[in-house]
Amino acid sequence: MSTINAAAVDLFAAKAKPVSISLSEAKTFDEALDFAIEICEKKPLGQLLLPGGPPDSERKKTLAAPALNEAAWSRLSEAGAKKGFEMIRGGLRKYLAGLDVAVSVADLGIADTATSVLECEKEDDRLASMICETHVIILDKSKIVSNSYEAEPFLTEALSKDRNYVAFISGPSRTADIERVLTLGVHGPLELYLVMVEA
Amino acid sequence: MNETTMKSYHGSLKQALDDNFLRQTLDKFAVQYRANRQLIFADVNEKALIAEIAEAKDESLDHLDELFERFKSVAEKKGVKVHRAATAKEACDLVIQLAKENDCKTVIKSKSMTAEEIHLNHPLEEAGLKVTETDLGEWIIQLRHEGPSHMVMPAIHLSRYQVADVFAETTKQDQDSDISKLVKVARHELRAKFAEADMGISGANFAVAETGSMAICTNEGNGRLTTTLPRVHVAICGIDKLVPTLHDALRVIKVLPRNATAQAITTYVSWISGAVERKEGENSQTKEFHMIFLDNGRTQLIKDPKCRQALRCVRCGACANVCPVYRLVGGHRMGYVYIGAIGLILTYFFHGHERAKILAQNCVGCEACKDVCAAGIDLPAIIQEIRARLNEEFGSAMDQALLGRVLANRKLFHTLLKFARWAQLPVKKGRYIRHLPEIFSLGQGPKALPAIADQAFRDIWPKIKPPVVPGAKTVGLFAGCAQDFIFPGHLQAATTILAKLGVNVEFPETQSCCGLPVQMMGQRASAIATAKGNIAAFKNLNVDHIVTLCASCGSHIKNRYHELLAGENMGAEVQAFSDKVIDFSSLLTDVLKVKPETFVNKKEKVGYHYPCHLVRGLGVVEAPKTLLKAAGDYQVAPEEDVCCGFGGTYSTKFPEISGTLLTNKLNNLEGAGVTTVVTDCPGCYIQLDGGEKKRGGNLKVEHIAEFLARHLT
Repeated sequence: MSTINAAAVDLFAAKAKPVSISLSEAKTFDEALDFAIEICEKKPLGQLLLPGGPPDSERKKTLAAPALNEAAWSRLSEAGAKKGFEMIRGGLRKYLAGLDVAVSVADLGIADTATSVLECEKEDDRLASMICETHVIILDKSKIVSNSYEAEPFLTEALSKDRNYVAFISGPSRTADIERVLTLGVHGPLELYLVMVEA
Repeated sequence: MNETTMKSYHGSLKQALDDNFLRQTLDKFAVQYRANRQLIFADVNEKALIAEIAEAKDESLDHLDELFERFKSVAEKKGVKVHRAATAKEACDLVIQLAKENDCKTVIKSKSMTAEEIHLNHPLEEAGLKVTETDLGEWIIQLRHEGPSHMVMPAIHLSRYQVADVFAETTKQDQDSDISKLVKVARHELRAKFAEADMGISGANFAVAETGSMAICTNEGNGRLTTTLPRVHVAICGIDKLVPTLHDALRVIKVLPRNATAQAITTYVSWISGAVERKEGENSQTKEFHMIFLDNGRTQLIKDPKCRQALRCVRCGACANVCPVYRLVGGHRMGYVYIGAIGLILTYFFHGHERAKILAQNCVGCEACKDVCAAGIDLPAIIQEIRARLNEEFGSAMDQALLGRVLANRKLFHTLLKFARWAQLPVKKGRYIRHLPEIFSLGQGPKALPAIADQAFRDIWPKIKPPVVPGAKTVGLFAGCAQDFIFPGHLQAATTILAKLGVNVEFPETQSCCGLPVQMMGQRASAIATAKGNIAAFKNLNVDHIVTLCASCGSHIKNRYHELLAGENMGAEVQAFSDKVIDFSSLLTDVLKVKPETFVNKKEKVGYHYPCHLVRGLGVVEAPKTLLKAAGDYQVAPEEDVCCGFGGTYSTKFPEISGTLLTNKLNNLEGAGVTTVVTDCPGCYIQLDGGEKKRGGNLKVEHIAEFLARHLT
């Protein structure tokens, strides 16, 4: 188990706010999963972006977490099912019209830019984080490094693999293309929750 | 821009200047950008990082073929098909061929300047493909059938109302002009395009040879969808985007977003290594992934020692963000595909000399771009070089060539100036005339023009030369043509101050114009001749320093003589000469260590205008402020360091832009409540004083030497 760089954790927290990341802490990984359920419950039912879906009154909220391990998935899917959510572990292409929440686990955090680093070679992992309205990323504090140069060994290893898609994510999807007015949620998530845990 | 004659270009410029929305948007942007940029760079060592990027980029450019081969061999092992296209046409044909081979009908694109460079959409559409841009700004301009007006914010020239109109037309329903609602319209409309597309075309900010990976930086997330949803991914980038290691890419990422939009990092950086998974139902397959490396003149440009720096460009757009001309006229008049200073340059190399002929003239030479460039490119120097080449290729305007020849011949130049003094007599009104002799080529404009002085400084000098102080420092005066012949008072004031400080002063009469005016016009031979003449003039004088009261002369000598005279085998001599050259303010504060007690402070409210060539050309910031605080009640006016619009012959070529810059400058100074404005350059002085006279204002304009001489104890 690697140690926690407290200064880096603080720096990450300080840099998160200006880039519209909603930051919270959980004592355990399970608690972070509970938080994701809570977020999904609070958010309004997502909008469908493609024609031909069922009327809102017949739709369930959708929550996807394709990258979770068995234990975490069974806990999350049980809790979600109790709330009446449709719980999704794969086949994300079927949800291009809209997805309420996606839960991802970061492989690394970069403090000075409040960046979560996600290895997502699997298409479902990638899509979940792109098409959801609300993205919840769980980040282990011990995986936070100070800056991108410190992330270089990780990145070099990840990109030396036969195939990989590594995403740096530092906030919800944003644009300022109309009159330079900052607007969140263009093509990707409208909001990004980052939950720091001490695993 | 598409204008092919100077006349139609002026028409287009006027249209832009009259566009109130554009003006307000770009004004606000210019001011906010500078403030935000400063904040976001607070936690990094900007200059060191930029120097590292420049060095690494140069190194990569020396080894592009090797980098390409390395990238290709690593990436191909991972299932990527790597191509190299020599020309724009070859690249377009290749994309069409890939679409056919893979049975693609619909294409989505995430923003790529390289795709813009080769005008990819037209041939794709002609080949029957349905192409949709997915970057919000790019989509808007695609719907309007326009080109980008900024490299990072392509639709910055449009208002929310214009966007609402074009969205209403596209969706066939009324659209609210509320920006967040407009963004939602794009989210809706484009999701369907993503879902159905067969091919996704992206650019690449980096192609990393060591891991065979590409990376793209985006904020909207469209890049991730473009590279994930369609069956086929085609990434297209210039060969200059090849870097050896991830470290090189990470280093650029520290500067690129900061410089582009004052963000510490873009929301997304997507790193793609190999042909990644693609799902077809439950089946896991791999993507059809092609990377096209475009040459389109780049290999030639690498072999061009004076201009190759341009290939260091990381496409951050900062050179437009700080350009005072861009701020007034926008990207459609300040570039063709690439925008801003780099646009002036790349248009020449990528899109043809004919297209760059007019565009390359529209640089005021203020060096604001050079000051912020993420890759340390000397953009103004390359633009000057391009002008010289354009002159050689197309011939230069008659008056410019004449001025070039006259300036190169000191005696002829001085004789003509003296003759001009008599010739202008009938129209002279006090110190101002309506027209300067044509050889000065200053034309008519928003300012009253100064007259040639009755007596040039060189004629006054023998009468005012201070007595020799044995053992004291000796300072040589480099007069420059403007102060020698138009404003000898500036030099007299400086002589008075130097004499008061007990310094010996020398003025060698064989000196001439520094050569910048002809250099700016691309008259290289004349620029070299004048430079050599000046070095010879000071060669045998034993002076400790050579002071110039003209920031433009100072910056030209210190920054350009070395390169200008590179072929003359006189390196040591040039070095010795330019090392001695110093601006007047720095001479007083840094060398002569003048004390506040030297001046009587009458609390006169004084403002300062930073000559571009002082603050950026020579990097002088504190010296003039220190002096003004000692001798007056110095007030900081907004945008002190923004160009006044003079730019030598620029004010003649583009009086409409020059005049607007001048008006902004004077308004800022008057708004700050000063009664006197001081500057360090006769060019700025002509512009400011002439402008204030013409508009009938009361602001007094002085050279810093005049202001200080008035306040000597």
